[in-house]
Amino acid sequence: MLSHGRIALGVLVLLTAACAPAAEPAPTPPPKPTEAAAKPAEAKPTLPPPGQAEAPKPAATVPAKSAPVTASLRLMGWASSPEEDRLLNEVLADFSRQYPSIQVKFEPVPEYATKLQTDLAAGSAADVFYVDSLLAPDLMKRGLLMELDSYVQRDKVDTSDFYPGLLKAFQWKGKTYGLPKDWSSLAMIWNAELAREAGLDRPPATWDEVKAAAQKLTKGKQVFGAVTPPELPRLGAFVYQAGGQLVSQDGTKMAINSAEGLQALDFYYGLYKDSYATTPADTGTQWPGDTLAKGKAAMVFEGNWIFPFLKKDAPNLSFGIAELPSGPKGKGTFAFTVSYSINARTQNGEAAWLLVNYLTGLEGMQRWTSLGLAMPSRKSLEAGWIAQFKEREPFLRAGAYAQPWQLGPGGQEINDKVATPALQAVFSGRMSPQEALAEIERKGNEVLARPSP
Amino acid sequence: MVGRSGKQAIRRWLAEDRLMGYAFIAPTLVVLAVFHGWPILQTFGMSFFNWDLLTQERRFTGLENYRLLAGSGEFWLALRNTVYYVLGVVPAQTAAALLLALAANQAIRGRAFFRAAFFFPSISSSIVVALLFTWIFQGGGLADWLLTLLGLSPPRPAWLSNPSGIFELIAAPLGLRLPEWAVGPSVALMAIMALNVWTTTGTMMVIFLAGLQDVPRELYEAASVDGASARQAFRRITLPLLKPVSLFVVIIGMIGAFQVFDQIWIMTRGQSQTTTLAWLVYAESFGGGFRAGYAAAVAMVLFAIIFAITMLQRRLFGQRAW
Repeated sequence: MLSHGRIALGVLVLLTAACAPAAEPAPTPPPKPTEAAAKPAEAKPTLPPPGQAEAPKPAATVPAKSAPVTASLRLMGWASSPEEDRLLNEVLADFSRQYPSIQVKFEPVPEYATKLQTDLAAGSAADVFYVDSLLAPDLMKRGLLMELDSYVQRDKVDTSDFYPGLLKAFQWKGKTYGLPKDWSSLAMIWNAELAREAGLDRPPATWDEVKAAAQKLTKGKQVFGAVTPPELPRLGAFVYQAGGQLVSQDGTKMAINSAEGLQALDFYYGLYKDSYATTPADTGTQWPGDTLAKGKAAMVFEGNWIFPFLKKDAPNLSFGIAELPSGPKGKGTFAFTVSYSINARTQNGEAAWLLVNYLTGLEGMQRWTSLGLAMPSRKSLEAGWIAQFKEREPFLRAGAYAQPWQLGPGGQEINDKVATPALQAVFSGRMSPQEALAEIERKGNEVLARPSP
Repeated sequence: MVGRSGKQAIRRWLAEDRLMGYAFIAPTLVVLAVFHGWPILQTFGMSFFNWDLLTQERRFTGLENYRLLAGSGEFWLALRNTVYYVLGVVPAQTAAALLLALAANQAIRGRAFFRAAFFFPSISSSIVVALLFTWIFQGGGLADWLLTLLGLSPPRPAWLSNPSGIFELIAAPLGLRLPEWAVGPSVALMAIMALNVWTTTGTMMVIFLAGLQDVPRELYEAASVDGASARQAFRRITLPLLKPVSLFVVIIGMIGAFQVFDQIWIMTRGQSQTTTLAWLVYAESFGGGFRAGYAAAVAMVLFAIIFAITMLQRRLFGQRAW
């Protein structure tokens, strides 16, 4: 019944389950994509008239439409909802009417981050794909994205129309590697009924008012005033409100271990420590929006993705929205943004640029943001969008001061393996706020300083 | 042309069933070599490179990955967690499985029902079971309710988001602050361990049950003729004869415990101090570090540990055992 084979098989199964996807362990490095990306003007797009193929140079002024570009493009992203999926396909159809010789196939995939990573590793990534702001520095640093500046200058794209915090997320060493397709910000959403019961006639606008309101809204262990998950993408907004930074200006060092960072963490964790705030985990809910929907908390600091969720899970909830409170140094929030970026290895650079420029242009973006879920990343569309979605105004107003959710190369790792464990340690009393910030700084700096091969 | 003696040799060879033997194991052997042996060798090779997952750029760095690993607090945390996990899960599931097997081996009413019920967790999807346990251990969930019933206060932060070590929690009221290596498994890891015991006990029970039914009845009859008590019969007959089965159960239990991944994926995503070696392999490559070579080194360490322990058990219990 029992054999060596069974055990050996077990060991082998285990090993392969644990293995990273294997590739040839050949000592010779493959051609570095960085070289190609550093000079995109030489990575010739396949333009039919060869005379115009040199177009992507700053000096060239050939209008895009005069060159009939023929290409079949792959666009990879994710679909947050069937409505968005359908809308994007409509926008792409509009694009194809303007550029009949360019075919675009949208490939929405689940587990997007993993899929993109493996596609890039295999060299089979799409021509154009979504890049999340947190991952962007890793891809820009490695030269996996095509530099867009020469196209931007040639086609006179007014990049100052993008909110500065959004465009900055896709710039690396002065070059641009993606244009923001849309964005979300954090604002304060509260249960209007509970607020009325607690006698709150206007949203809290300062930290002190937030604390006082949370205290009033808390009903023992049944309803908590606020939700403060031990996560940097929420705490960080308060660090900005205190006048602090997460990472230094040059992006080489963590900057959160500062007097401002400590002030923010003391306030944020203080709400939890005093039991005026809870976490999704403690209330058996999935995320703060769920905590609000289930009536276990009265106030959350969340993004505009909360709308479709509340509509579905708490259709009868009456709620109010305001910008995040002002801290000791004023306003601050995160911009969660995603770019359309071009694969540095694409054979269809020109066509890919035309697509990106259309999707992030006034016409394409207006269409794309017309459902109200995604917010336009262009200032010139702000007024029109707000007129249409009046109650969502606080989210878009944050464009003036929002900072991109970004930590530099290794950002995902700094968040998942450095910041979250340290903040969890604070919330469980294992570490003091000072110790946690020092640990985030020390370990975060190790990741930022890690050399690439 | 094969001569007369040659034909005899072939016939003799065939008679020994060797050729047939190789023919029968060939498909398995090929599959093992292609899908297991080759990737293992490649992983071993990768572990000597600084290997970027995204660009596939690589540079030979010799033992650098192993040196980095030895200096990484997270690696040691993962190793400690893996050891806690094995020490917590394997004895508990082996003992529970043996007890259940003994019970299910009695001529009691509804025996078939109990056997099926105990086995059920093993055939359920691990993802579904993990989700179920996520609900049990969520804030205000069943585990909290049970604690409240016993007059104890539920943990805050709730189970799966609580990174405090259990020794740390015991020492805290005494005013002691333990060094990081001595804090013990986190509350969240304990919850995942409970899940693992619950799911795997059924499989182990079935193996024990098969072992129990292999014990010859004559031995018990002889023992009772000699005046042995039930306890004596269990200690002197059942346990010794179950030794090979027990060893098998312990080994596959350990391998399973070393491998733990999907439960962690669902329940904590490696947070709350639940990083294990297998999780670290994933996190280092796909979790934002993109360090494929380093992850390969972790995988090789995991391989070496399991290999060594399996060999050690083999030596300790002798070849005959399995």
